Amino acid sequence: MNSKSVYKIPNGKLLKINLNYDKNTNKIKEVIITGDFFVHPEEAIELIEEKLLNVKLDKINLFETIQSVIDENKIELIGLDAEGLTNGILMCLK
Amino acid sequence: MTEEWRLLLTGANTAAKNMAIDRAVLTTNSQGKVLPTVRFYEWIPPAISIGYFQSLSDEVDLKMCKKLGVDYVRRITGGGAVFHDNELTYSIVISEDHNEIPKNIIDSYGRICGAIIKGLKNLKIDCEYKPINDIITNGKKISGNAQTRKQKTVLQHGTVLMDVDIERMFSLLKVPNEKIRDKLISDVKERVTSINNCLGKDMSFIDVVEAMRNGFEEEFNIKLVKGTLTDEEIKLTEKFEKEYFGSKEWNHKR
Repeated sequence: MNSKSVYKIPNGKLLKINLNYDKNTNKIKEVIITGDFFVHPEEAIELIEEKLLNVKLDKINLFETIQSVIDENKIELIGLDAEGLTNGILMCLK
Repeated sequence: MTEEWRLLLTGANTAAKNMAIDRAVLTTNSQGKVLPTVRFYEWIPPAISIGYFQSLSDEVDLKMCKKLGVDYVRRITGGGAVFHDNELTYSIVISEDHNEIPKNIIDSYGRICGAIIKGLKNLKIDCEYKPINDIITNGKKISGNAQTRKQKTVLQHGTVLMDVDIERMFSLLKVPNEKIRDKLISDVKERVTSINNCLGKDMSFIDVVEAMRNGFEEEFNIKLVKGTLTDEEIKLTEKFEKEYFGSKEWNHKR
């Protein structure tokens, strides 16, 4: 199932999510994170997308997965954060 | 003795070449082969650049670009879509370890934007840095900026709007919903300004370059010495143009 969301991060940038997920298992099949935010290093966005594959679409799972990729790889997000990303992904389900 | 940095005036180029030059200078500077470099440039034909993380097809009306002869390119920096026409574009490339560059990214935006702010003040335009990446005057945006750090080197590029045609810009950018196009245009008109708007007269590109050059010299207490791209940088520019900025694969990657 494909779905999109557009979410203005509070005090941040505009996040646009393209999500493909399995409706039965409620897990992510593919996610593409786009928008006018900043990520240092830039290539880390692909790592975040990769680590989200097969992650269950609930708030805690998403947030913890994203936050741990950020922490483990010392990724710096500007105009975006793990909570905003989580919210943007979950908005695709509405 | 005053530290010397290199000044590049590369004139007007295509979108792909402009982005390739910034990338080439980032490479040579990171290898210690060239001085910290400040570059001023323009775009021919006019072009839209999108941020590294943006979707080209979501943001840009490619058919309209073709119809109006407007170029497009994906930057290596994040941030938003910019229509480059009637503006001065600058870039600065400098080691992350240089003592004038704050380690913190937001602080370093502020410091580099300080040079543009001093440049605008030289033109009698009072303005201030607005985090994350804007410079505003009387509450309206006059400059947008974007930074990346690779190989321990900072590249920041940005625009200083000399004139602005919001209708034309929006004819090239996708809007989420056609019904709100007019509202969006009037909102952006309220939020964006330009040198010509502020001064009520047309400034020449050369005069703006001179003001910005002085702005960088004052902010960083350096002397900008006119130079040219090295042979290696010219070769790298061709390589990056072909492999990245001029390729469909790169521009459509998101």
